[in-house]
Amino acid sequence: MSAFVVALLPGVHPLAAEEPERSVVQIITFSQTPSWDAPWRFDSVRRGTGTGFVIRGRRIVTNAHVVSWARQILIRKHQDPRPYLARVAFIGHDCDLAVLEVDGADFFSGLEALEVGELPKVRSTVVTYGYPAGGEQISYTRGVVSRIEVQPYVHGGNRSFLAVQTDAAINPGNSGGPVIQEDKVVGVAFQGTPGLENAGFFIPPPVIQHFLKDIEDGKYHGFPSTGARFVPMQNPAYRRFLKLPDNAVGARVDNLFDTTDAAKALRLDDVVLQVGGYTIGSDSTVLYQGNRVQMAVAFQGAQHGDAVPVKVWRAGSELTLSVPMQVSTNDTRTGNQHDTPPRYFVYGGLVFTPLSLDYLKTFGRNWSDAASSELIYNLMYRRFESPGSSRPEPIVLTQVLQHPANANFRVPGRALVDRINGIQVDRLEDVIRALESAKGTQHVFEFMPKNTLECLSREEAEKANADILKTYSIMKDRRL
Amino acid sequence: MNDDRSSRNPATHLKREMNTPCPASKVRAGSRRAFLAIASWALAAHGSLVAGHSQSAPKWDASLVTLEATHQQHDHFQPWQRRSRTVQKSALVVGPRELLTTAEELNDLTVLRLQKNGRGKWVAGKLEWIDYHANLAVLSCDDAGFWQGLKPAELAPKPVRENLQLIRWKNGTLETRKAEFNQFNVDDGRLTFINHLQMDVGTEMNAVGWAEPLVSGRKVTGIASAQTGNNVRVIPASFIAPILDARRKGGFRGLGYFPFVWQPTENPEVHKHLKLDGESRGVVVIEVPPVAGDEPVLQPRDLILQVEGFDVDLQGFYVDPDCGPLMIENLATRRKFAGDEVRMKIWRDGKLLDVKYRLPRVEYSHKLLPEHLFDQAPEYLIAGGLVFQPLSNAYLRGFGADWKRVAPFRLNYFNKENPTKERPSLVFLSLVLPDPYNLGYTDGRFLVVDTVNARKVSKVADVQEALKFPQDGYHVIEFMRSDGLRRMVLDAAGMKAATDRVLRLYQIPAAESILKPAGSVALAR
Repeated sequence: MSAFVVALLPGVHPLAAEEPERSVVQIITFSQTPSWDAPWRFDSVRRGTGTGFVIRGRRIVTNAHVVSWARQILIRKHQDPRPYLARVAFIGHDCDLAVLEVDGADFFSGLEALEVGELPKVRSTVVTYGYPAGGEQISYTRGVVSRIEVQPYVHGGNRSFLAVQTDAAINPGNSGGPVIQEDKVVGVAFQGTPGLENAGFFIPPPVIQHFLKDIEDGKYHGFPSTGARFVPMQNPAYRRFLKLPDNAVGARVDNLFDTTDAAKALRLDDVVLQVGGYTIGSDSTVLYQGNRVQMAVAFQGAQHGDAVPVKVWRAGSELTLSVPMQVSTNDTRTGNQHDTPPRYFVYGGLVFTPLSLDYLKTFGRNWSDAASSELIYNLMYRRFESPGSSRPEPIVLTQVLQHPANANFRVPGRALVDRINGIQVDRLEDVIRALESAKGTQHVFEFMPKNTLECLSREEAEKANADILKTYSIMKDRRL
Repeated sequence: MNDDRSSRNPATHLKREMNTPCPASKVRAGSRRAFLAIASWALAAHGSLVAGHSQSAPKWDASLVTLEATHQQHDHFQPWQRRSRTVQKSALVVGPRELLTTAEELNDLTVLRLQKNGRGKWVAGKLEWIDYHANLAVLSCDDAGFWQGLKPAELAPKPVRENLQLIRWKNGTLETRKAEFNQFNVDDGRLTFINHLQMDVGTEMNAVGWAEPLVSGRKVTGIASAQTGNNVRVIPASFIAPILDARRKGGFRGLGYFPFVWQPTENPEVHKHLKLDGESRGVVVIEVPPVAGDEPVLQPRDLILQVEGFDVDLQGFYVDPDCGPLMIENLATRRKFAGDEVRMKIWRDGKLLDVKYRLPRVEYSHKLLPEHLFDQAPEYLIAGGLVFQPLSNAYLRGFGADWKRVAPFRLNYFNKENPTKERPSLVFLSLVLPDPYNLGYTDGRFLVVDTVNARKVSKVADVQEALKFPQDGYHVIEFMRSDGLRRMVLDAAGMKAATDRVLRLYQIPAAESILKPAGSVALAR
């Protein structure tokens, strides 16, 4: 699904709230994102607005995308002219949720915490509260729950969780605002889909509760995943081949592509029959509170470090496994990264940084057409196809900062680095080691895919380093 | 790098996509009335159609004929279906009972007719010889009367830049238009991945690229193969003539080429690294892909300093005595053919070496994804509704003129990989024709097959053979590791009945079209 986060306008006690709007706040952020192809640099400061709401513990919940990359966060209370400074206490970029803390002892006086309720029923009525575009004051919109299923969360870009679709208007500025039903929060408004009219999406209580429980120990870990690919098990011959009963139960493990313990516990051709209390349908779905949704939901209730009982069909009989669930960070670079600026190293005017989706986006809106297929393959495909040859952190020469010392260096940038001075480059530290430990008169660079060769005089490059950093206003030659 | 070379070449954009519709005046499916209207307009707009045609000019009408070719076009998305397409092109008399034209659109030929004087009677023609990589074909005609009044034209042995004219028959009149020389360059041909000499000329003539001769004085200096705007791409006569001579003598072995990849070496530090004595020069070899049957003469990190006695500069150019600076690839086709030796001076490990590079014959099969599949019905196999096909660029072109962008990324990316002895080609599941037998698999498509019943697959025939060996009553199909489906299992006993049902339901004439092992594609006849 092509979706967008509706957030940013380029602009303590449980409560059975009679006036929930008093606990709904406007969030004004001043944020600055890095330039992924000139990684020492940050873009202009942008002002944006979103919505949040007070929960117990004198905290405010909003979307991660409202406050990511924020340099300053201001909160405005309902009908209160004063701005309050806030800071991010916890942020979950995978599930697009954040918890803020507010400076100022009197901020929470008179505010009552909203309580998170249950997953609303399809066809039931909900009301969104927020500060969307088109005015300064709080806005309310009423709608029905249209459907509930697993949707991609576009802020992280490579995760899908349960989401609720509603016809209540959810517009830029609504992001992070509560969706209320019977005085309880049944969702956090977060994204829409271009071209779909009367369709906004909110994050439902199971995801919100998972996030809030995760941070109870003072750290956000994230949603664990299995590292396995499950596929429907509907072909009668395949069921007979595995001696599986002819019924509507079971999803087959077709691929294991992660190094998580869950992936190690499972085997190819295991047929997953049950996860926790959920029976797995042969179309790889579960019945979740009356909604048939992708089976991933059955695993997503687990916290990092939990073990989930999984009943599988293996080698002709049932077996119950205790599958350890962990957060996988292997695919961080294939999603949108936030709040951590890119790693880089500048040497002799050559700028090295890790290959990532954010880097590919610097090729422009049509980056998938503009970027070389070699970069796309190495980022998106190689780890599935040949995990053995997949490098932990492929490194790109993003650009060459022109200087007499590198004037003859012919590779202009946007090239994947294979080896430097004979050392295979698996991560940024290898670049630094290869260049800083070199003893010869030259540095020898090899680029993928065809071993394009380039050389640099070591003496001239080292002499030029300080001058290049000064010329291009680079404060430090590296960020690790 | 190859990419660099093509990006430096300003004429790369000239290529006319194979699927580009034929110009209206060349496709028989138009109305004659429309032809006349266009011709009248052309006359009004440009004055005399024979402007610039002096009285002493040769009688080109005695050497130029029109050909009409009908050939089959295959629908690679439904390989059991085909369409017919008819085009008109020019052909030039170049010898006794010998007509020269381009190879394009003469593949899978069903009808060939010839016409003199741009009007009147059509007579049956026949294809004597075709080479798709050279984009050349020789035609003939058994009707003795057809040859009366026709005289062979003379091909210029060397490139000509002055007094250029493009000629063709148009509505019974010989249309002659001035052309201006733009440049020579070495680029890949219309139907091949190898580079050879090309000539670009500017002209006001429209819809060119259908083998119209480019002439100068009394000699033919090339035949047109494509047009972009006012720029016409021409196959020079100096490239064509040696091929025709060799063919007449039975000595044409096909075009040879340099399969290795080199990079420019403008950086003196690279020469220093390679310990080159003296002035910076030459280009460095960076990849030597395996080509069947040939021991690699070159190695990565060799510096190529001289080819056929010509010095090679830092960008990979030599100074051609006829054309000026050209890329060294030209020396693989400049009066050379497959099997010929090319002399090189190379620098390896601090030493100067003289080597003889034997040119391999260019074959579409040298690429993991063959560029074209001419003169054969597309291969396929339908098994229980699963459609298996060879993965080729002929298939990927089915995604349209923009296929390099639109076709599935992963399939296209196989173009970056070289074939290996173990996997010289690829077979993929192109689609599943729904039937109760394949329930649960109907979304499977674009999956490259690794094994069937534990047997490695690289040809469609391998799938057919492997299906003779079910495993305990099941067919197990494993796809190459990807982000897609890895495995399908099918009931072996039910496959034949399911295939029959699918053929009936989807009105498919045959469950398979598979080349016999010995029946390799006839690339040149």
